[in-house]
Amino acid sequence: MRFAPRAFAKAADRMRRRDFIALVGSAAAWIVPARAQAMPVIGYLGSESPERYSSRLSAFREGLAEAGYAEGRNVAIEFRWAEGQYNRLPALAADLAHRQVAVMVAAGGAEIALAAKSATTTIPIVFEMGGDPIALGVVDSLSRPAGNLTGVSSLSVEVSRKRLEFMREVRPGTEIFAVAVNSASPTSNSQLENLHAAADSLGVKLIVLKASAEQDFDAMFSTVREKQAGGLVFSSDPYFAYRSHQLAELAVRHAVPAITQSRDFPIAGGLMSYGGDFRQSHRQTGIYAGRILNGQKPSDLPVQRVTKVELFVNLWAANTLGISIPPSLLSSADGVVE
Amino acid sequence: MIWSTGRRAITPSNSIGSPRTSLFKKYFLALFAAVVVPLVIAGGSEAWFGYRDQRSSLNDILDAEARLAAVKIEDFIEGIRGQLGWTVQLPWSEETGQSRRLDALRLLRQAPAVVSLTLVDPTGRERLFVSRIGLNRIDGGADLSANPAVIGARSNRFWFGPVTFQDGSEPFMTVAVAGNRSAVGVAVAEVNLKFIWEVISEIRVGRTGEAFVLDGPGRLVAHPDINLVLQADEAAQRPLQALRTSILANPGQAATGQDIAGKTVLATMAQIPGVDWSVIVKQPLAEAFGPIYAALWRTGALLVAGAALAALLAYWLTQRMVGPIRLLEDGVGRIGAGQFDHRISLATGDEFERLASRFNEMAGELSLSQERSERINRLKRFLAPQVAELVDRTGDDRLLDGRRVEVVVIFCDLRNFTAFSANAEPEQVMSLLREYYDALERVVSIHEATLISFSGDGAMVLVNAPVSCSDPALRAVNMARDMQVSVQKLLVNWRALDNRLGFGVGLAMGPATVGRIGTEGRLHYNAIGNVANLASRLCSSAENSQILIDRVAARAVGRQMPLVELDARTLKGFDEPVPVFSVVIGTGN
Repeated sequence: MRFAPRAFAKAADRMRRRDFIALVGSAAAWIVPARAQAMPVIGYLGSESPERYSSRLSAFREGLAEAGYAEGRNVAIEFRWAEGQYNRLPALAADLAHRQVAVMVAAGGAEIALAAKSATTTIPIVFEMGGDPIALGVVDSLSRPAGNLTGVSSLSVEVSRKRLEFMREVRPGTEIFAVAVNSASPTSNSQLENLHAAADSLGVKLIVLKASAEQDFDAMFSTVREKQAGGLVFSSDPYFAYRSHQLAELAVRHAVPAITQSRDFPIAGGLMSYGGDFRQSHRQTGIYAGRILNGQKPSDLPVQRVTKVELFVNLWAANTLGISIPPSLLSSADGVVE
Repeated sequence: MIWSTGRRAITPSNSIGSPRTSLFKKYFLALFAAVVVPLVIAGGSEAWFGYRDQRSSLNDILDAEARLAAVKIEDFIEGIRGQLGWTVQLPWSEETGQSRRLDALRLLRQAPAVVSLTLVDPTGRERLFVSRIGLNRIDGGADLSANPAVIGARSNRFWFGPVTFQDGSEPFMTVAVAGNRSAVGVAVAEVNLKFIWEVISEIRVGRTGEAFVLDGPGRLVAHPDINLVLQADEAAQRPLQALRTSILANPGQAATGQDIAGKTVLATMAQIPGVDWSVIVKQPLAEAFGPIYAALWRTGALLVAGAALAALLAYWLTQRMVGPIRLLEDGVGRIGAGQFDHRISLATGDEFERLASRFNEMAGELSLSQERSERINRLKRFLAPQVAELVDRTGDDRLLDGRRVEVVVIFCDLRNFTAFSANAEPEQVMSLLREYYDALERVVSIHEATLISFSGDGAMVLVNAPVSCSDPALRAVNMARDMQVSVQKLLVNWRALDNRLGFGVGLAMGPATVGRIGTEGRLHYNAIGNVANLASRLCSSAENSQILIDRVAARAVGRQMPLVELDARTLKGFDEPVPVFSVVIGTGN
């Protein structure tokens, strides 16, 4: 979290100036109604509900503020929520495109980015996702993305093999591990490949469990118990990430040691997490949306990679599960829940 | 009318015409220049030296900023190198690298820029690999002895790889450090240079100046706008390379050039030795020269204000100088025009006031002198010029006041002139009278007597009034004799016209009332009394070339002049016969 305090301070500093500008702006808007109509609209496409997105949204708004925008003052945000039904995303994206929003924000995964991309070739799109944007066909270049897309990618997808490594480290005696994969995810195949290669080099066996809906979760945890796997490793997937609380509950109930990409999981009672810092990536998404509103073209904004990968460990969960966390792991943890 | 001719000579102010150039203009320009020229010189030189000082101090400041920025970047790299140094302190033995793993993980935790770390033993084998992304390996055993990082670090203690742009975007660099003994092996780290952003974005030069880093080949490694780095667009970075070239062309001097946005900037540079990077600090030219421009504006404003003040001052001073001169000119003009009562009122307290008072004195003098000459003119009507002058010189006008005094009254006239004038041509009469008057006036003037009046062929002359003289009787007799002599000379010629013409003189002495008589316009000096009557009667009684005097005069003359006592005559207005004396006019005279 070395970035954070400085970034917050900077954001706060800009906030004051912007507050003033916004105040003047809103006063002008109040006097001249035409000004209010001219307020640009951001179309925000989310795969879940506002509640599940709340921490991401606050980071996004922080980024917007850094670029000089505040919702309701000088920008309006039009939200479209898929409520976990990813097949609704293309229609929602098309709806936003139809609304002719100034910029479309597709935050929270490759599925959303791809849905937005298919909906329009003219409206600028800022995406936020975990995988490799080039490999997934979202953009052709990171430094100068051609077309109307740019955005932020975190290292979450790339590091799913590290989750297996960490799980093996805390469960040194076991040879079998379960892997949870969302078969609906466009990154599932590459992650599986990755995980199998890692399993080979670590000398462990994998049980692949597919889950693409909430009702599959319970069975998944039961299977881990039944197959006496050493632990459950979640592949990187927003569908899992947004359901960290639910997964943590299940992990506690089934007493399954598990690791996911999102820090929400250990904070809610799960054992561990290892993945990109979503606050950073969503904040950067907000900054980019603001910069596009300021007139910059997506092709001038290189795709940013959030380099920070964070490890969170819940010692209370470890104790409950009877697991001792090796000091090497604890020392490299970015956050420890006790 | 002497004065009126004089007036024409003094007053013609309109005939002088307007001067070629005015004093006002001259003095105004001179005074203005006297203030403005030094002001301009001082202001100009101050601006010039200020510019030079500012330029050189700017140079120093930017230079210091560049060094400071270079130190900060170097600290970043040195920090990583120092962290790596910890991992190559203990020699390798045969046991696994497990014990080193903790150190390596701690290093990743400490140095967020390090993405992965490889520890190589003295034989060049990979003993440990830890990564944030990839799987860790212990005793991987790969032979890395040919790896340039390992070779470089072994020969030089440490090695910095070239900057590579991962996926054409994120800058990375390999850093390798060898221990101080070959037994401790080499640590090789992959460093994400995006983290320099934290350092570079903190550097501020002035208000909006920034720093950026170019690697050896001139690629942008760090910039406060991280996007410029991530774009890794070498074409767009060409201005920055040009900037570096122009700094190198003039070492130690701040160079002017363009940044990526096309803004003109002032830039200096410092090298980071180990990695061969250039840290360049730049400041927008407008901002860097802001104080100079401000100073120039200030100087300009001061100059303008100074010039305005100088103009005002010059105007005021010139006005103070020229105003009195104009007043004097006007006053002199008025005085010249005869307005002697005009006074020039100047209270400047300086030479002008003195000059004005001199002019005023002069006007007073002129006024006095005019009065005097008017009086003289008046006196000249009945006084001999010398007497008139004398009266004037004594300045005592009271001389002409009425009083009773012992005077000698002389009357003379031509005999048979009336008959002559009746027959003669008027021109002849006039010219004859003119000659006659001239002769008489001359004689009266010589004897400083007072010519009271001419009337036709007669004249009345007074001696001892208004100016008294010594021995008036003798003077009068002498004068009468001279009159006779002069007129008789004329008569010699005139007899050709009329042989009956003659000239007689009567003279009497006694008290008479003398003084000015008449109105202001027709003023006469006259003597009233018996003596005048007597003189007139004696004149009438005298024959040609005869001078008759009364007894008082004769007695006063005494023996100084040969006199002949004639028979007493009965004169009109006198009850008894009046004793009469005749002056013997010497044949010699």
